[in-house]
Order: sequence, then C-alpha cells, then structure tokens
Amino acid sequence: MEGKSYQRFPRVKIREMRHDYLKFELRDTDASVANALRRVMIAEVPTVAIDLVEIEINSSVLNDEFIAHRLGLIPLTSDRAMSMRFSRDCDACDGDGQCEYCSVEFHLRARCHSDQTLDVTSKELLSSDHTVVPVDFSDASGYEASEQRGIIIVKLRRGQELRLRAIARKGIGKDHAKWSPAATVTFMYEPDIRINEEMMDTLSLEEKTAWVDSSPTKVFELDPSTGKVLVVDPEAYTYDDEVIKKAEAMGKPGLVDITAKEDSFIFTVESTGAIKASQLLLNAIEILKQKLDAVRLSEDTVEADDQFGELGAHMRGG
Amino acid sequence: MDPQQPAEPVYYICGDCGMEIPLKPNDVIQCRECGYRILYKKRTRRIVQYEAR
Repeated sequence: MEGKSYQRFPRVKIREMRHDYLKFELRDTDASVANALRRVMIAEVPTVAIDLVEIEINSSVLNDEFIAHRLGLIPLTSDRAMSMRFSRDCDACDGDGQCEYCSVEFHLRARCHSDQTLDVTSKELLSSDHTVVPVDFSDASGYEASEQRGIIIVKLRRGQELRLRAIARKGIGKDHAKWSPAATVTFMYEPDIRINEEMMDTLSLEEKTAWVDSSPTKVFELDPSTGKVLVVDPEAYTYDDEVIKKAEAMGKPGLVDITAKEDSFIFTVESTGAIKASQLLLNAIEILKQKLDAVRLSEDTVEADDQFGELGAHMRGG
Repeated sequence: MDPQQPAEPVYYICGDCGMEIPLKPNDVIQCRECGYRILYKKRTRRIVQYEAR
C-alpha cells in the first residue's frame, strides 16, 4: 500500500467568535474535508437532550405526546456530553436514569392558581445535575431578562396542572435532530475575482456605473475620483453570474473572470447554545479524527471490519 | 376479572353538566343528574411514559 502521499496541512483562521457564533477560514484543503467537517458538526457531535418523559398529571390543552416532543427539543447545556456514555453502552446502569455516566433526571411541577394564564417554561425544569440545565438565552442579545424567560413548553389556565419526570440522554443529530448542537453550519468557496482592466478602460463612466449596479450584492465599487472599478467585498459575491451576464449584454464578454478558489472555505457556525460554537468545532475535529483512526485500522485488515464498530456498520450502509 | 369480587365502579364525566357519575357493568350509560347520554372516561391515574421524539 505504498504510494504518493496526499497529506496536506490545512490552516484555520478565526475571524469572529461569540458564544453561539463562529466565523473562520479554512485553507489548503479539499471540499471533501470541508464538507466532512460541516456534516460532523451538524450530525455527529453529541449533546444531551430529553429522551424519555413520564407524565404523572397533565390536564393542559396539549396532549402527552405533544408535550414530550416539545421537551425533547429544548437545548440543554452539554459541555459534559463528550465524556458521557451513550445509555445503550452504559454498563453501570439499566438505562432508566439516575446514572451519573449516561443520564440526567428532570422534574417539572406546575399548576395554575390564578385567573391569568400561566406560562410553563424551560426554567421550571429542575435538573438533578447542575452541569446539564436548559440553555439560558436571557441577556444574550437584545432581549431583556424580564421578558425572555426561557422556552415556553405549555400554557395553563386556572386549575390545569402538569407534573412529570423526564430523562435526558446523550445522543447525536444523526439519530434525531434534537441532539444536533448546530443551528446552521455553512461554508462557501472564496471567490477569485479578476477584472480585465484593459477592457474596463474602454467603458464610459455611465456604463461602469450600470455594470457595478447590476450586482445584487455590493461586490464592486466605482471610485469617483479615478473612475476605476474596484472589488470592495469579494465575499459578498453569491455566484449569481449577474455581472457576467451584464458584461455580455453590454457586448463585453470576459470583462470579469470569477472563479471559486477550490481550496479556501469560509465557514459560518451557529450553535443552539448546547455547546459553545468554538467547542462545537473542536469536538467535530476530535470526532473526525476518531473516524479516521477507524479507517486507518483497515489498512492491512480488510476483512476484519467488525473492529470498526459503529463506523463499519456505517460504511456497510447500516 | 375475578368473579367473586364485586366490580368497582368507574367514574365518568357527564358531557353536559360535568358531574362525576359512577358506573358499574350493565348500568345504563346516562347522567343521573341531567339525563345526558354522552359520558367521558377520565384520564388514567397511572404514570404514562413517552419517548421524546
């Protein structure tokens, strides 16, 4: 199996980093790596989410299944998820909660005593583990702490009551989207925009203005003092081809040449709040490495694909 | 069902007046207060389990 090495040394440059948002450049690698990273962030980075609900009393207007489903979708702080066990391979418990390795128990008790509608929110979910609690969105951005009081689960009128126990477990987005820590993960190719300056000089000022204005996003600008067309924001280009069509319509094909740099990607990551966006990237790289280790094992033992475990089943289409 | 034990009455709720009506096997399905014939079964007192999916 000796041969040419295709090893590359990708570079990452962080552009912007907030708790739930991350923008970075990934360079010197292929689209396959960029897309693998994106897909791992969405579907394979583990989090903790409510998976089992035991309802004691429910006299609300929403039925039990509906409430159980809503509870499952509430993001829980999952910084510990990477070191937790999946309840299916936890041998320290029988998988019904109260196990420190694989599950977290929640209790909810709410009853409306007044004539005013009572909002039951994620704040009323009491956790057995202070590291796994419903994500707090207050004072995150713009909302005042008083008006944003967690995620509404159900509303109760006078006399209605909701009482339940819920068990949260570790899982991945591939099993159910509720476990996905990513709200959105996108990447774009960095565009390489080259203006044919010679041809551009043959255009009148009005023609240049018309051409610059033909782009739906603000990619180009006309310098009023020199009369030159400049590329001000190449990343604003959405590969819409409008400026190319405009140049052709003006009888100037080849006025601008736009290609995608095949080895430069600009990533945007938004987290649900379950884990920090930066941690989401780090965890995704860690999982990608684990998957690659499983592939590396196969180099001289092609038959013994049982050793790959989950990945083996994955590759066989299971 | 154990034939020796007398059947426990099951409480139903009248669809019209909302009264609780105890009903035994072979009883007429009718509200004793208002005569309404649509009765609703109450929710189980047991804990019910659901997968949050």
